[in-house]
Amino acid sequence: MSLLSPQIGSQMVDLGSALLLLTCFAIVAQRRLSACVDLFALQSVFLALTAALVAFLTGIYHIYAAAALTVVIKVVVIPRILKQVIERLNVTRELVMNVNVPAGLLICGALVMLAFFITQPIIPLGFLLTRDSLAIALAIVLIGFFTMIARKKAVTQVIGFLVMENGLFLAATAAAYGMPLIVELGVFFDVLVGALIIGIYTHRLQDAFDSVDTTKLTILKE
Amino acid sequence: MLQAVILVVAQTLVMLAVSPFIVGLIRKVKAWLQCRRGASVFQPYADLAKMFRKQPVVSTTTSWIFTATPYILFASTLAAGLLVPVFASRTPLNFAGNIIALVYLLALGTFFLILAGLDAGSAFGGMGSSREAIVASLTEPAMILSIFAIALTAGSTNLSTIVHKTALLEGIVTDPSPHLMALAALFIVTIAETGRVPVDNPATHLELTMIHEAMILEYSGRYLALVEWAAGLKLLVFFTLITNVFAPWGIATTLEPGALSLGLVAYLVKVSALAVVIGFIESMFAKLRLFRVTDLLGVAFILALLGLVFFYVLRG
Repeated sequence: MSLLSPQIGSQMVDLGSALLLLTCFAIVAQRRLSACVDLFALQSVFLALTAALVAFLTGIYHIYAAAALTVVIKVVVIPRILKQVIERLNVTRELVMNVNVPAGLLICGALVMLAFFITQPIIPLGFLLTRDSLAIALAIVLIGFFTMIARKKAVTQVIGFLVMENGLFLAATAAAYGMPLIVELGVFFDVLVGALIIGIYTHRLQDAFDSVDTTKLTILKE
Repeated sequence: MLQAVILVVAQTLVMLAVSPFIVGLIRKVKAWLQCRRGASVFQPYADLAKMFRKQPVVSTTTSWIFTATPYILFASTLAAGLLVPVFASRTPLNFAGNIIALVYLLALGTFFLILAGLDAGSAFGGMGSSREAIVASLTEPAMILSIFAIALTAGSTNLSTIVHKTALLEGIVTDPSPHLMALAALFIVTIAETGRVPVDNPATHLELTMIHEAMILEYSGRYLALVEWAAGLKLLVFFTLITNVFAPWGIATTLEPGALSLGLVAYLVKVSALAVVIGFIESMFAKLRLFRVTDLLGVAFILALLGLVFFYVLRG
């Protein structure tokens, strides 16, 4: 079935998930928008590698397809769309956030602990080789959610959303060796359309308010 | 007994001899990347020799702290260096202190350097000291936590035990995730503690940016030589810590002459490789604004914390 021993395989999957979490923290600490997009692309590379590793270890071939789709959509297409949006905007970095970076990092550290604490009773019940990654996947979802709350610019909020989606993908892979391919395809299509719509919406926001600060949407009058 | 004494002397000599070379190598790499020829990698030796011959000038407003600090700094950094396994995994002095002693020996030197920066009463010295205090207080928790993560995987806080077990790959937790997180954290700590580019610039005397250079601005002659040499030693101690804790392969686990010489060669290769990496990083990144340094050190702290958490969570 596989060339690697189950224990080493499991540790490699853990390592891949840990790298995903590492890039999450880099995104939280990064202020430059284009660097955030690059980090998201890097995270997606790690995600695809982890998924391919799981496919290799388990011999379930449709995970390869999901990994390939991840590379095409999340490493190439979506970062390119976001880069175009950033190029049109006149902002390169985010100076004001709802939560500043050191506090954000500490909150994310607490979120990771929370995720580990929540999943602790479940994980020993699992029998899959990827079960440990569930804790990390939940942590990534929470950090993505936090990024959407903490940032003000539409582009970084999109990145938060995409990070959440990466976390969900990892969770599906960890808990059940991936969703059926048809569901996977639907999710990828949704994410792609979502990124496109948010790209267009960001353009409109820029035209209407001369800014991509989403807090301006709550203002009723000029 | 005699063997132990020889080993201690040999390790002292290697640390003292290699540290200026590492400083020179980093400068050389930076020069190459800037398309300059650069000074020879042995230039720092000549600088040190020159400074030891010059007469030191000491301000009349300074107290004994100013003249004592170079000796304290040099001695404490060298003592810290003797606690780290260099080319043999069992250092004879490992009974004298563990990883926590190492951290605080380095902190002792930093503390006295901060005092000395304030002592001369110049504006730059005070500014450098205040900045160094910020950086030191933020790096310390990250360093301690990352070291604890490693100590947990080996089940000991004794550096020799950690390195010995890792080199033989026995009796340790081999899960790579805690190691990876701790390595990333310790790398950031190394850059911050040794005053390298994203945090401090060792090649500048521009008032706005300097941290370490501002503190030692008043030093001259043999005092300056000792402070510079101690800075090189500190860099080497951190490099040794990173290479031998995370990649100890090649280090001598026995005391046979063949194993020891192989360990020495492997050590020189690894430390030089790390110096090249640091040179690349210094050339690729711009210095961070002082108030952004907290972001970077926050990342280091969280990474170290995650290393600890991973150790407990991913073991199952």
